[in-house]
Amino acid sequence: MPAEVHSILWAVFWAMATLVIYGISLLTHRRLGRWWTSPLLVTWLACLALAFSLHATYGEYIKGTHWLVTLLGPATVAFAMPIYEQRDMIRRHWLILAIGIVAGTTIAIGSSWVLASVLNLSPSLRLSLLPRSVSTPFAIAFSQDVGGIPELTATCVVITGVVGAALGELVLKLLPLRSSFARGALFGMGAHGAGTARARQVGAEEGSVAGLVMVLAGLASVLVAPILAPCLR
Amino acid sequence: MLRKTGILMGRNRWLQIAGLIAIWWACETLVRALALPIPGGVVGMIVLLALLASGRVRMAWFSRGSSGLLDHMLLFFVPATMALLDHPELFSLTGLKVLVVICAGTLIVMVGTALVIEACFRWSARHAR
Repeated sequence: MPAEVHSILWAVFWAMATLVIYGISLLTHRRLGRWWTSPLLVTWLACLALAFSLHATYGEYIKGTHWLVTLLGPATVAFAMPIYEQRDMIRRHWLILAIGIVAGTTIAIGSSWVLASVLNLSPSLRLSLLPRSVSTPFAIAFSQDVGGIPELTATCVVITGVVGAALGELVLKLLPLRSSFARGALFGMGAHGAGTARARQVGAEEGSVAGLVMVLAGLASVLVAPILAPCLR
Repeated sequence: MLRKTGILMGRNRWLQIAGLIAIWWACETLVRALALPIPGGVVGMIVLLALLASGRVRMAWFSRGSSGLLDHMLLFFVPATMALLDHPELFSLTGLKVLVVICAGTLIVMVGTALVIEACFRWSARHAR
């Protein structure tokens, strides 16, 4: 078999495998509904295990599935709808939202820095971890500004999303939060797009607040990066 | 013209998704051309919000397509996580430490943000009376 046909067949295989695993995980989650059956977590671990057992490289895998990642762009555009639906509520509570985003961004960058220092991680790894709670394009811009490794940052961002979408549910169970703003914002602030998608399953208000917080937190971190950069180097 | 587009768009979910992709693509091209540090999707979202607010675009034109995309947004993240396959150095003590930072950090951010906003809400509810 020519090498080209071979690689195309693998690409089709990975696309199909990912979609099938995702479909099964959706059904399982509907049945069981626990935080550890989250489709993102299950699909991620199952695909990773499959890729390992077949000795696949990232290049082979992404060739067939890159179109899925590309759809994140139009999905971000789609967030205009839930945000527009909740415009009155957002207009009423904009100050609380702004306080939450400033506090959240400070906590996110501060906690990454302190934890990475305590665990004695290398400076480049520590800088790459700083922007992990904002969505990928913002995080990469931040990482470049402060002198991290953008590639590593992208990986950490996605792992944060996977872990955060699951952890958020745990936090909801432990904290008695009365306002839907607090419930939504914790997902948007802590786990960017993945958390926001999860927040939509909690409720419509939570979902749109999470979407707005995600975008604003991303913008805030890109604005903060040039100010932080000289202090961190 | 506006009405005709509306009738056509309101019916078909796939057409709505195609419309969202078109907005994103146009904004992504613009962002690339101007070399802005903002993702094209975010610019597209702001553009769509502006169009909705101005009344040029109705909610019904995109509502089914947008919920279709958003419902499965989690799936779109999976392929990017596979970059781990090319970082075998992370399957070690360092990787474990990174995971600890991510898990603990995410918990702190979530709890912190939620408590700050919840406190603001309770404060404003008490002072509203």
